[in-house]
Amino acid sequence: MPVKFFGQFMVEKGAITRMALLQAIDLQEKTNLKFGEVVIEMGLIGKEDIARIHLAQRSEDLHFGDMAVKMGFITEDQVQQVLTRQRNSHLYIGEALVKVGAISEQSLEKYLADFKQDQAGYISEKIEIPADVPHQPIWEMVADLTYKMLTRVVGITFRPGPCTIIDKMPARPIIAEMGFSGSVSARYLLSVSENTRNLVAKAILAEDSVENESVEILDDSVKEFVNIVCGNIAAKAAQLGHSIDITPPEMRDDSAHGIAVPEKHTGLMFPVYLSDGEIFELTIFIADR
Amino acid sequence: MKNVLIVDDSIAVSRQLEKIIDDGKEFKVIAQGRNGAEAIKLCQQHKPDIVCLDMNMPVMDGLTALRTLMQLMPDLPVVMVTSLGGVGDKYTEAIRLGARDVISKPFEKESVLDMLRRL
Repeated sequence: MPVKFFGQFMVEKGAITRMALLQAIDLQEKTNLKFGEVVIEMGLIGKEDIARIHLAQRSEDLHFGDMAVKMGFITEDQVQQVLTRQRNSHLYIGEALVKVGAISEQSLEKYLADFKQDQAGYISEKIEIPADVPHQPIWEMVADLTYKMLTRVVGITFRPGPCTIIDKMPARPIIAEMGFSGSVSARYLLSVSENTRNLVAKAILAEDSVENESVEILDDSVKEFVNIVCGNIAAKAAQLGHSIDITPPEMRDDSAHGIAVPEKHTGLMFPVYLSDGEIFELTIFIADR
Repeated sequence: MKNVLIVDDSIAVSRQLEKIIDDGKEFKVIAQGRNGAEAIKLCQQHKPDIVCLDMNMPVMDGLTALRTLMQLMPDLPVVMVTSLGGVGDKYTEAIRLGARDVISKPFEKESVLDMLRRL
Protein backbone atom coordinates (compact mmCIF):
# COMPACT_ATOMS: atom_id res chain seq x y z
CA MET A 1 0.00 0.00 0.00
CA PRO A 2 1.65 3.24 -1.08
CA VAL A 3 -0.50 5.43 1.15
CA LYS A 4 0.85 5.62 4.67
CA PHE A 5 0.19 7.38 7.94
CA PHE A 6 3.13 9.40 9.30
CA GLY A 7 3.85 6.94 12.13
CA GLN A 8 3.79 4.00 9.73
CA PHE A 9 6.15 5.88 7.37
CA MET A 10 8.57 6.50 10.26
CA VAL A 11 8.59 2.83 11.32
CA GLU A 12 9.10 1.62 7.72
CA LYS A 13 11.93 4.12 7.29
CA GLY A 14 13.58 2.76 10.45
CA ALA A 15 13.50 6.21 12.09
CA ILE A 16 11.53 4.92 15.11
CA THR A 17 10.60 1.56 16.64
CA ARG A 18 7.06 0.18 16.64
CA MET A 19 7.13 0.42 20.45
CA ALA A 20 7.93 4.14 20.28
CA LEU A 21 5.05 4.64 17.84
CA LEU A 22 2.65 2.87 20.21
CA GLN A 23 3.83 5.10 23.09
CA ALA A 24 3.28 8.20 20.96
CA ILE A 25 -0.20 7.04 19.89
CA ASP A 26 -1.05 6.35 23.52
CA LEU A 27 0.03 9.87 24.51
CA GLN A 28 -1.93 11.33 21.60
CA GLU A 29 -5.11 9.48 22.59
CA LYS A 30 -4.83 10.73 26.17
CA THR A 31 -4.20 14.31 25.05
CA ASN A 32 -6.53 14.80 22.08
CA LEU A 33 -10.06 14.77 23.39
CA LYS A 34 -13.02 14.60 21.03
CA PHE A 35 -15.48 17.49 20.98
CA GLY A 36 -17.92 15.47 23.10
CA GLU A 37 -15.23 14.62 25.65
CA VAL A 38 -14.24 18.28 25.98
CA VAL A 39 -17.84 19.41 26.57
CA ILE A 40 -18.20 16.74 29.28
CA GLU A 41 -14.90 17.85 30.83
CA MET A 42 -16.14 21.45 30.76
CA GLY A 43 -19.40 20.33 32.39
CA LEU A 44 -21.54 21.64 29.51
CA ILE A 45 -23.32 18.40 28.51
CA GLY A 46 -23.97 15.04 30.20
CA LYS A 47 -22.98 11.64 28.76
CA GLU A 48 -26.56 10.63 27.86
CA ASP A 49 -27.03 13.79 25.82
CA ILE A 50 -23.76 13.10 23.97
CA ALA A 51 -25.25 9.79 22.81
CA ARG A 52 -28.41 11.60 21.64
CA ILE A 53 -26.31 14.05 19.60
CA HIS A 54 -24.31 11.21 18.00
CA LEU A 55 -27.54 9.49 16.98
CA ALA A 56 -28.98 12.69 15.53
CA GLN A 57 -25.76 13.17 13.51
CA ARG A 58 -26.48 9.96 11.63
CA SER A 59 -29.70 11.42 10.26
CA GLU A 60 -28.52 14.93 9.51
CA ASP A 61 -25.20 16.15 8.15
CA LEU A 62 -24.10 18.50 10.94
CA HIS A 63 -20.88 18.71 12.95
CA PHE A 64 -21.17 17.64 16.58
CA GLY A 65 -21.09 21.24 17.87
CA ASP A 66 -23.67 22.46 15.35
CA MET A 67 -25.97 19.57 16.21
CA ALA A 68 -25.53 20.28 19.95
CA VAL A 69 -26.54 23.91 19.31
CA LYS A 70 -29.51 22.85 17.17
CA MET A 71 -30.71 20.50 19.91
CA GLY A 72 -30.38 23.30 22.48
CA PHE A 73 -27.63 21.74 24.60
CA ILE A 74 -25.01 24.49 24.14
CA THR A 75 -24.68 27.96 22.63
CA GLU A 76 -22.63 29.12 19.61
CA ASP A 77 -20.20 30.86 22.00
CA GLN A 78 -19.64 27.62 23.89
CA VAL A 79 -18.91 25.81 20.59
CA GLN A 80 -16.17 28.36 19.88
CA GLN A 81 -14.75 27.91 23.41
CA VAL A 82 -14.59 24.13 22.94
CA LEU A 83 -12.99 24.42 19.48
CA THR A 84 -10.36 26.84 20.79
CA ARG A 85 -9.57 24.51 23.67
CA GLN A 86 -9.29 21.55 21.28
CA ARG A 87 -7.07 23.49 18.88
CA ASN A 88 -4.74 24.76 21.59
CA SER A 89 -4.19 21.36 23.15
CA HIS A 90 -4.05 19.22 19.96
CA LEU A 91 -1.00 16.96 19.77
CA TYR A 92 0.08 15.75 16.31
CA ILE A 93 1.77 12.36 16.01
CA GLY A 94 5.12 13.98 15.11
CA GLU A 95 4.97 16.15 18.25
CA ALA A 96 4.01 13.08 20.30
CA LEU A 97 7.07 11.24 18.95
CA VAL A 98 9.23 14.15 20.12
CA LYS A 99 7.55 14.14 23.55
CA VAL A 100 8.17 10.41 24.11
CA GLY A 101 11.82 10.95 23.09
CA ALA A 102 11.69 8.89 19.88
CA ILE A 103 13.01 11.72 17.69
CA SER A 104 14.41 15.21 18.21
CA GLU A 105 12.47 18.38 17.48
CA GLN A 106 15.02 19.34 14.80
CA SER A 107 14.68 16.04 12.90
CA LEU A 108 10.84 16.19 12.93
CA GLU A 109 10.76 18.95 10.32
CA LYS A 110 12.95 16.99 7.94
CA TYR A 111 10.93 13.78 8.39
CA LEU A 112 7.69 15.68 7.74
CA ALA A 113 9.12 17.10 4.50
CA ASP A 114 10.22 13.59 3.41
CA PHE A 115 6.77 12.22 4.25
CA LYS A 116 4.97 14.94 2.30
CA GLN A 117 7.14 14.23 -0.75
CA ASP A 118 6.58 10.46 -0.44
CA GLN A 119 2.80 10.84 -0.25
CA ALA A 120 2.34 13.66 -2.74
CA GLY A 121 0.98 11.41 -5.51
CA TYR A 122 -1.51 9.48 -3.39
CA ILE A 123 -3.40 11.68 -1.03
CA SER A 124 -6.33 13.88 -1.94
CA GLU A 125 -6.69 16.91 0.32
CA LYS A 126 -10.04 17.77 -1.25
CA ILE A 127 -12.55 15.83 -3.30
CA GLU A 128 -11.94 16.51 -6.98
CA ILE A 129 -14.15 14.92 -9.60
CA PRO A 130 -12.45 14.44 -13.00
CA ALA A 131 -13.34 17.04 -15.63
CA ASP A 132 -16.25 16.30 -18.02
CA VAL A 133 -18.16 14.24 -15.43
CA PRO A 134 -21.63 15.84 -15.24
CA HIS A 135 -23.24 16.90 -11.92
CA GLN A 136 -19.87 17.24 -10.19
CA PRO A 137 -21.29 18.89 -7.01
CA ILE A 138 -23.57 15.88 -6.47
CA TRP A 139 -20.71 13.35 -6.65
CA GLU A 140 -18.58 15.53 -4.38
CA MET A 141 -21.44 15.54 -1.88
CA VAL A 142 -21.85 11.73 -2.23
CA ALA A 143 -18.16 11.14 -1.43
CA ASP A 144 -18.15 13.76 1.34
CA LEU A 145 -21.17 12.21 3.11
CA THR A 146 -19.70 8.71 2.76
CA TYR A 147 -16.49 9.88 4.49
CA LYS A 148 -18.46 11.69 7.19
CA MET A 149 -20.64 8.66 7.93
CA LEU A 150 -17.57 6.44 8.03
CA THR A 151 -16.29 8.66 10.83
CA ARG A 152 -19.59 9.25 12.61
CA VAL A 153 -21.17 5.82 12.35
CA VAL A 154 -18.19 3.44 12.24
CA GLY A 155 -15.65 5.70 13.96
CA ILE A 156 -12.55 4.57 12.06
CA THR A 157 -9.45 6.49 10.98
CA PHE A 158 -8.89 6.82 7.23
CA ARG A 159 -7.44 8.97 4.46
CA PRO A 160 -9.30 9.49 1.20
CA GLY A 161 -7.39 8.91 -2.02
CA PRO A 162 -7.95 10.82 -5.28
CA CYS A 163 -11.05 10.05 -7.35
CA THR A 164 -10.35 8.31 -10.67
CA ILE A 165 -12.37 7.18 -13.68
CA ILE A 166 -12.39 3.38 -14.01
CA ASP A 167 -13.53 0.79 -16.59
CA LYS A 168 -13.79 -2.05 -14.10
CA MET A 169 -14.08 -2.46 -10.35
CA PRO A 170 -11.53 -4.85 -8.88
CA ALA A 171 -12.74 -8.18 -7.42
CA ARG A 172 -13.78 -7.63 -3.80
CA PRO A 173 -15.30 -10.05 -1.29
CA ILE A 174 -18.17 -7.85 -0.12
CA ILE A 175 -19.99 -5.23 -2.19
CA ALA A 176 -23.26 -3.56 -1.17
CA GLU A 177 -25.09 -1.27 -3.60
CA MET A 178 -28.03 1.06 -3.96
CA GLY A 179 -29.56 2.79 -6.99
CA PHE A 180 -30.21 6.52 -7.48
CA SER A 181 -32.90 7.85 -9.79
CA GLY A 182 -34.46 11.27 -10.34
CA SER A 183 -32.10 14.23 -10.84
CA VAL A 184 -29.31 11.70 -11.51
CA SER A 185 -29.32 8.05 -12.48
CA ALA A 186 -26.52 6.01 -10.89
CA ARG A 187 -25.50 2.99 -8.79
CA TYR A 188 -23.71 3.54 -5.46
CA LEU A 189 -21.39 0.61 -4.63
CA LEU A 190 -19.42 0.13 -1.43
CA SER A 191 -16.67 -2.52 -1.29
CA VAL A 192 -15.28 -3.69 2.05
CA SER A 193 -13.00 -6.46 3.28
CA GLU A 194 -14.26 -8.97 5.86
CA ASN A 195 -12.55 -7.13 8.72
CA THR A 196 -14.03 -3.80 7.67
CA ARG A 197 -17.46 -5.45 7.34
CA ASN A 198 -17.14 -6.63 10.95
CA LEU A 199 -16.26 -3.11 12.14
CA VAL A 200 -19.32 -1.76 10.33
CA ALA A 201 -21.50 -4.52 11.85
CA LYS A 202 -20.26 -3.75 15.38
CA ALA A 203 -21.25 -0.11 14.90
CA ILE A 204 -24.63 -0.80 13.27
CA LEU A 205 -25.65 -3.53 15.74
CA ALA A 206 -24.17 -1.59 18.70
CA GLU A 207 -22.40 -4.76 19.86
CA ASP A 208 -18.87 -5.10 21.29
CA SER A 209 -18.31 -8.33 19.37
CA VAL A 210 -19.83 -9.81 16.22
CA GLU A 211 -17.85 -13.07 16.33
CA ASN A 212 -20.97 -15.22 16.67
CA GLU A 213 -23.07 -13.35 14.13
CA SER A 214 -24.07 -15.01 10.86
CA VAL A 215 -22.69 -13.80 7.52
CA GLU A 216 -26.25 -12.76 6.66
CA ILE A 217 -26.40 -10.38 9.64
CA LEU A 218 -22.90 -9.05 8.94
CA ASP A 219 -23.71 -8.38 5.27
CA ASP A 220 -27.02 -6.89 6.31
CA SER A 221 -25.18 -4.40 8.53
CA VAL A 222 -23.12 -3.21 5.54
CA LYS A 223 -26.35 -2.80 3.57
CA GLU A 224 -27.81 -0.77 6.44
CA PHE A 225 -24.70 1.42 6.54
CA VAL A 226 -25.14 2.07 2.80
CA ASN A 227 -28.82 2.78 3.45
CA ILE A 228 -27.94 5.38 6.13
CA VAL A 229 -25.39 7.05 3.84
CA CYS A 230 -27.73 7.10 0.82
CA GLY A 231 -30.64 8.34 2.99
CA ASN A 232 -28.43 11.25 3.99
CA ILE A 233 -27.44 11.80 0.35
CA ALA A 234 -31.10 11.98 -0.71
CA ALA A 235 -31.84 14.39 2.16
CA LYS A 236 -28.88 16.63 1.34
CA ALA A 237 -29.74 16.56 -2.38
CA ALA A 238 -33.28 17.72 -1.52
CA GLN A 239 -31.82 20.67 0.41
CA LEU A 240 -29.77 21.57 -2.68
CA GLY A 241 -32.85 21.46 -4.91
CA HIS A 242 -32.30 18.00 -6.45
CA SER A 243 -34.67 15.08 -6.15
CA ILE A 244 -32.96 11.70 -5.67
CA ASP A 245 -34.94 8.51 -5.07
CA ILE A 246 -33.07 5.52 -3.69
CA THR A 247 -33.71 1.82 -4.22
CA PRO A 248 -33.33 -0.73 -1.38
CA PRO A 249 -29.74 -1.83 -0.65
CA GLU A 250 -28.54 -5.14 -2.13
CA MET A 251 -25.42 -7.30 -2.02
CA ARG A 252 -23.55 -7.97 -5.30
CA ASP A 253 -22.67 -11.63 -5.63
CA ASP A 254 -21.10 -11.41 -9.10
CA SER A 255 -17.89 -9.69 -8.03
CA ALA A 256 -15.45 -12.65 -8.04
CA HIS A 257 -13.77 -11.33 -11.22
CA GLY A 258 -14.50 -7.66 -10.71
CA ILE A 259 -17.42 -5.70 -12.11
CA ALA A 260 -17.16 -3.91 -15.47
CA VAL A 261 -18.66 -0.44 -15.65
CA PRO A 262 -21.91 -0.90 -17.67
CA GLU A 263 -22.18 0.52 -21.18
CA LYS A 264 -23.19 4.19 -21.40
CA HIS A 265 -22.05 4.70 -17.82
CA THR A 266 -19.04 6.47 -16.26
CA GLY A 267 -17.33 4.70 -13.36
CA LEU A 268 -15.88 6.84 -10.55
CA MET A 269 -13.78 5.24 -7.83
CA PHE A 270 -12.95 6.85 -4.49
CA PRO A 271 -10.37 4.73 -2.63
CA VAL A 272 -10.29 5.10 1.15
CA TYR A 273 -7.10 4.10 2.96
CA LEU A 274 -7.72 2.70 6.43
CA SER A 275 -5.03 2.74 9.11
CA ASP A 276 -4.96 -1.07 9.30
CA GLY A 277 -4.56 -1.51 5.52
CA GLU A 278 -8.05 -3.00 5.14
CA ILE A 279 -10.37 -2.25 2.21
CA PHE A 280 -13.10 0.38 1.96
CA GLU A 281 -13.88 1.70 -1.54
CA LEU A 282 -16.69 3.80 -2.88
CA THR A 283 -17.56 3.36 -6.57
CA ILE A 284 -20.29 5.14 -8.52
CA PHE A 285 -21.60 4.04 -11.91
CA ILE A 286 -23.17 7.16 -13.43
CA ALA A 287 -25.60 6.72 -16.36
CA ASP A 288 -24.92 9.00 -19.34
CA ARG A 289 -27.88 11.19 -20.15
CA MET B 1 -49.87 -5.59 26.11
CA LYS B 2 -49.93 -4.30 22.51
CA ASN B 3 -48.82 -6.58 19.70
CA VAL B 4 -46.40 -5.07 17.20
CA LEU B 5 -45.55 -6.19 13.67
CA ILE B 6 -42.14 -5.11 12.30
CA VAL B 7 -41.65 -5.01 8.53
CA ASP B 8 -38.12 -4.17 7.33
CA ASP B 9 -35.90 -5.83 4.72
CA SER B 10 -32.90 -5.37 7.02
CA ILE B 11 -32.50 -8.09 9.63
CA ALA B 12 -30.06 -5.85 11.51
CA VAL B 13 -32.60 -3.02 11.70
CA SER B 14 -35.45 -5.38 12.66
CA ARG B 15 -33.32 -6.77 15.45
CA GLN B 16 -32.50 -3.31 16.81
CA LEU B 17 -36.17 -2.29 16.71
CA GLU B 18 -37.33 -5.54 18.29
CA LYS B 19 -34.86 -5.05 21.17
CA ILE B 20 -36.19 -1.55 21.81
CA ILE B 21 -39.85 -2.56 21.57
CA ASP B 22 -39.51 -5.64 23.78
CA ASP B 23 -37.68 -3.50 26.37
CA GLY B 24 -40.78 -1.31 26.50
CA LYS B 25 -42.61 -4.06 28.51
CA GLU B 26 -46.05 -2.89 27.37
CA PHE B 27 -45.29 -4.03 23.79
CA LYS B 28 -44.54 -7.39 22.24
CA VAL B 29 -43.21 -8.09 18.75
CA ILE B 30 -45.43 -10.85 17.38
CA ALA B 31 -44.09 -11.19 13.83
CA GLN B 32 -41.63 -9.77 11.30
CA GLY B 33 -41.87 -9.29 7.56
CA ARG B 34 -39.26 -8.36 4.95
CA ASN B 35 -41.27 -6.42 2.36
CA GLY B 36 -44.56 -4.65 1.71
CA ALA B 37 -46.35 -7.74 0.36
CA GLU B 38 -45.48 -9.65 3.53
CA ALA B 39 -46.72 -6.71 5.60
CA ILE B 40 -50.21 -7.03 4.09
CA LYS B 41 -50.26 -10.81 4.53
CA LEU B 42 -49.00 -10.68 8.13
CA CYS B 43 -51.46 -7.93 9.09
CA GLN B 44 -54.38 -10.04 7.91
CA GLN B 45 -52.96 -13.12 9.63
CA HIS B 46 -51.92 -11.62 13.03
CA LYS B 47 -54.15 -8.55 13.35
CA PRO B 48 -51.41 -6.53 15.14
CA ASP B 49 -52.18 -3.47 17.28
CA ILE B 50 -49.29 -1.49 15.74
CA VAL B 51 -47.23 -1.87 12.53
CA CYS B 52 -43.69 -0.49 12.10
CA LEU B 53 -43.21 -0.36 8.33
CA ASP B 54 -39.96 0.46 6.53
CA MET B 55 -40.36 2.84 3.58
CA ASN B 56 -37.61 1.58 1.31
CA MET B 57 -37.98 -2.18 0.69
CA PRO B 58 -37.68 -4.58 -2.25
CA VAL B 59 -40.67 -6.39 -3.88
CA MET B 60 -43.18 -3.84 -2.54
CA ASP B 61 -42.10 -0.59 -0.86
CA GLY B 62 -43.57 0.68 2.39
CA LEU B 63 -45.69 3.49 0.93
CA THR B 64 -47.38 1.12 -1.56
CA ALA B 65 -48.08 -1.34 1.27
CA LEU B 66 -49.40 1.50 3.45
CA ARG B 67 -51.84 2.55 0.72
CA THR B 68 -53.28 -1.00 0.56
CA LEU B 69 -53.29 -1.44 4.35
CA MET B 70 -55.27 1.77 4.82
CA GLN B 71 -57.90 0.50 2.39
CA LEU B 72 -58.16 -2.88 4.14
CA MET B 73 -57.78 -1.68 7.77
CA PRO B 74 -58.29 2.11 7.91
CA ASP B 75 -57.94 2.24 11.73
CA LEU B 76 -54.68 0.28 11.92
CA PRO B 77 -51.92 2.40 13.54
CA VAL B 78 -48.95 2.29 11.16
CA VAL B 79 -45.67 4.12 11.79
CA MET B 80 -43.22 4.39 8.93
CA VAL B 81 -39.51 3.67 9.44
CA THR B 82 -37.01 5.52 7.27
CA SER B 83 -33.41 6.68 6.87
CA LEU B 84 -34.64 9.62 4.79
CA GLY B 85 -34.70 11.94 7.79
CA GLY B 86 -34.60 15.19 5.88
CA VAL B 87 -36.71 14.36 2.83
CA GLY B 88 -39.89 16.28 3.54
CA ASP B 89 -42.00 15.03 0.62
CA LYS B 90 -41.64 11.39 1.72
CA TYR B 91 -42.79 12.34 5.23
CA THR B 92 -45.75 14.30 3.86
CA GLU B 93 -46.75 11.45 1.55
CA ALA B 94 -46.65 8.91 4.40
CA ILE B 95 -48.84 11.08 6.64
CA ARG B 96 -51.22 11.86 3.77
CA LEU B 97 -51.65 8.13 3.08
CA GLY B 98 -52.62 7.50 6.72
CA ALA B 99 -49.40 6.76 8.64
CA ARG B 100 -49.64 7.95 12.25
CA ASP B 101 -46.01 9.01 12.47
CA VAL B 102 -42.50 8.44 11.06
CA ILE B 103 -39.54 6.95 12.94
CA SER B 104 -36.13 8.03 11.63
CA LYS B 105 -33.20 5.63 11.58
CA PRO B 106 -30.97 5.27 13.49
CA PHE B 107 -33.31 4.69 16.42
CA GLU B 108 -33.37 6.52 19.69
CA LYS B 109 -34.94 4.14 22.21
CA GLU B 110 -37.02 6.60 24.24
CA SER B 111 -38.30 8.44 21.16
CA VAL B 112 -39.45 5.15 19.61
CA LEU B 113 -41.21 4.00 22.80
CA ASP B 114 -42.79 7.43 23.38
CA MET B 115 -44.11 7.41 19.84
CA LEU B 116 -45.60 3.91 20.22
CA ARG B 117 -47.21 4.89 23.55
CA ARG B 118 -48.93 7.86 21.91
CA LEU B 119 -50.67 5.65 19.30
